[in-house]
Amino acid sequence: MSENTFPHHHEDVTHDGHVTVDSRAIDASVRLPVLVLFGNAIHWLVVAAVISFILSIKLVAPEFLAGISFLSYGRLAPMARDLMLYGWASQAALACGIWLMARLCGRPLGTVMGGVLHSTLLVCAAVLWNVAVLLGTLAIFAGYSTGVEWLEYPNWASAMLFLSFLLIGIWAVLLFDRRATGRAEVAQWYLVAAFCWFPWVYGTANLLLTWKPVQASAQGPVQSWYCGSLLALWLLPVSLAALYALLPRLLGCHLSRRNLATLGFWLLLLLGGWNGMDRLIGGPVPAWMTSAGVVAGVLFLIPVVIVMINVLGMRRNPESAAAKSIPCRFLVMGAYSLLGVGILGALASLPDISASVRFTGVTEGKTQLWILGAISLPLFGVLYEAVPQLLGRDCWCATLAVLHYTLTVVGLWMLVGIMVLGGLFTGLALSDPTVSFLNITSYSYPFHMMECAAQLLLLSAAVILGANITRALAADYLFNKKTGK
Amino acid sequence: MHRLPTLLSGIFLVFLTSWLGLVAYPTLQLGRLTPVVDPETGGTLPAIYGGQALAGQRIYASEGCVSCHSQQVRQASVTSSDIERGWGTRPSVARDYLRDSTAFLGSRRLGQDLSNVGVRLPDAKWHYVHLYHPSAVCEGSLMPSFSNLFIVRKIQGQRSDEALDLTGADAPKAGYEVVPTAEAKNLVAYLIALRHDYPLPEAPVKKGGAAQGK
Amino acid sequence: MNHDHQNNQHQKEGEASETSRPLSPWLVGTFMLALCWGGFYLAFNSGGFRQDVYESNAVNWAGGGAQAAAPVDPKVIGKRLYTQNCVVCHQANGMGVAGQFPPLAGSEWVLSQGNHAENHLVILLLNGLQGPFQVKGQLYNNAMVPWKQLADEQIADILTYIRSDWGNNAPPIDAAFVAKIRTDNAAQGDPWTQAQLQACPPVNDSAPAATPASK
Repeated sequence: MSENTFPHHHEDVTHDGHVTVDSRAIDASVRLPVLVLFGNAIHWLVVAAVISFILSIKLVAPEFLAGISFLSYGRLAPMARDLMLYGWASQAALACGIWLMARLCGRPLGTVMGGVLHSTLLVCAAVLWNVAVLLGTLAIFAGYSTGVEWLEYPNWASAMLFLSFLLIGIWAVLLFDRRATGRAEVAQWYLVAAFCWFPWVYGTANLLLTWKPVQASAQGPVQSWYCGSLLALWLLPVSLAALYALLPRLLGCHLSRRNLATLGFWLLLLLGGWNGMDRLIGGPVPAWMTSAGVVAGVLFLIPVVIVMINVLGMRRNPESAAAKSIPCRFLVMGAYSLLGVGILGALASLPDISASVRFTGVTEGKTQLWILGAISLPLFGVLYEAVPQLLGRDCWCATLAVLHYTLTVVGLWMLVGIMVLGGLFTGLALSDPTVSFLNITSYSYPFHMMECAAQLLLLSAAVILGANITRALAADYLFNKKTGK
Repeated sequence: MHRLPTLLSGIFLVFLTSWLGLVAYPTLQLGRLTPVVDPETGGTLPAIYGGQALAGQRIYASEGCVSCHSQQVRQASVTSSDIERGWGTRPSVARDYLRDSTAFLGSRRLGQDLSNVGVRLPDAKWHYVHLYHPSAVCEGSLMPSFSNLFIVRKIQGQRSDEALDLTGADAPKAGYEVVPTAEAKNLVAYLIALRHDYPLPEAPVKKGGAAQGK
Repeated sequence: MNHDHQNNQHQKEGEASETSRPLSPWLVGTFMLALCWGGFYLAFNSGGFRQDVYESNAVNWAGGGAQAAAPVDPKVIGKRLYTQNCVVCHQANGMGVAGQFPPLAGSEWVLSQGNHAENHLVILLLNGLQGPFQVKGQLYNNAMVPWKQLADEQIADILTYIRSDWGNNAPPIDAAFVAKIRTDNAAQGDPWTQAQLQACPPVNDSAPAATPASK
């Protein structure tokens, strides 16, 4: 396998040269929790991809697996969504966050809280997380869904998720406080913010929507706030941290617009929660909330543009070997996906356009681009960079990695493109009251067919990634056995 | 922002804005809305659900109906196409969801909006047949069949009143009937109770015929 | 072979070499413009930030009650109902089918011309028709199904629509009028014949609802 696919970790010049960081020791200390989290995340990604594929078939042929209560569309759809959000994306974000925070702060695990906190505790938290996801998914399967979108896990499962996160999040924030390095990087702000936000966001949303539900007249805005915050304030900051931390190091350059990045950070914080209101434009909420959603949706372009300017500024030479490495390609494509999300979001927030496209494939496509593109692609980039360093050896099969990248990107853009196009078409027809609803359903048939094909591509990509990491971990296990480690 | 306390305070304060606007304000204001008295009948608006309808809400939640159906008629300043299509006579407002345990606002319309389905389709029998085999009633419908909510059983003596009138390939074989389970009855009771066609102080409506759309 | 990712064991990686370049004035200007737009939009489209105002185009700074939503044009609803119910026979262009279904465009029954009154139109839609029937000089001998299952509002909307499209231009019909005609003629349930209709004393809608401005 070519040595140039994964470049050496670049040495950063310090101001005073006093700080030395033993990255090998750090990697060794976080190895187990990060690998456990990444491994399980990929496992759930494959399961989610299978379910998503089945769902896309059901839109083409509703009689597929019909009549079986636990395989109906209404049960599989929340399962797929929650698995993507909590099984894959959140876990990969946790893994990414732990690894990046430890490396950026220059301290191995075990130096925080007097060495009491140990990778064992993190692994226990990771296991608890996966148990919660598994049981929550099975509960939806069996018909115990709460019915609140994106929060369908029963109360006990969401409480387990919350607890598990606290065990990991508190540690990460404290590590920042006790870091060995002086000046904080932009990436570190994003990680601190993400680890602080998720408990607040998840706890509040669950408290008000499922644990002790507030009166239903108030649930709409809270639920929309949750959807916006989960994506823009928990998952996206981790992906942005990956961009700001990993991209300069991979490309051998540095961030030259830190002040712009600062502005982008605070604007994201401000707008992220409000951005969720684009789900309720024209909905049963006071007018000012609708307008706030419109404004937040459009202004969200500002932090997005800031990220793009920074990313393109760092990637000054796209033809270099470093820029063509798999992690780099994933990171940059993630940034482009974010740009797509920003543009789509801004357009779909405008009331005249929202009037036609809300409830159609446009909003669904935007959500898919959010989760699969803006959030997942940079996490894939970190995955490909982190695992060899954690295992101490080149472990990825290059062919499978390139195949995974191609299938993911092609599948993603194909899926989003078709959903948006189909959604536009459907939306315009829905706006004309003389077109009957069943006619509109039959017009969208070819789009659903193509979405099926796109989901198949994404499923293949997920399976290939699963094969790749299994191969990597198995090879590592066998190698260690052979060398008697 | 290199010290944790500074960073945390900044994060807390900025994040607080969306929390205040979208969580605290709705909980304290919209969450404290009360029903109004109907001047004509003296009852409350929105009318409270019966026990069956309340149980039906749980079925609606567990079957994931919210994945495909919305329950909101949009404000006229954004679009009047929901009303023109006959999905409601007036836009939905927050008070309409008072009696629900969960607001199933929905975010996708693979199926029709259901906020006024009790006005459009008040016939329980229609709903039973539709749930049993949607594409037999609405050709080309994407809705999955909920035949698991029904029982096919041998006719004991006389055909039950509740038995579905099915024709063609759906009809059970001779001597058998298809009856709804308690869950199906609860779900249909909930669907029939869904209506947002009464006037409210913030959403006046012209009194007149009920909306009936397709 | 253990690839040497760790040859920089003690790399000085903690300190970030992030720098700040002066911001481009164009960039800052664009951002400021966007923020200004946001501010103005919020100010003018928030219904005065009132809790009971749901229509965003109602600026209600002075306080006072919530405004009703702009009423939907009955012709639009009528057109949708016509497309769902009537198009099969009378066609989307209102021309009907020669010899089978009479046209509505230019029809004296629809326009309430001559000795045809508005109550005749309402009755024939509610109760249906049977037997020979003359429209625009042509004789038709078909049956029209009754539509009394539609609500008064809907009958009124359909009639308002057909009286305003395809070159027709007659005043709209009111839902209250439909209700009145429905109760007045409740005794005769079966489809009416032309003779029965014309025997019925003409009643016109004295106070049709003013057509609201189209959205």
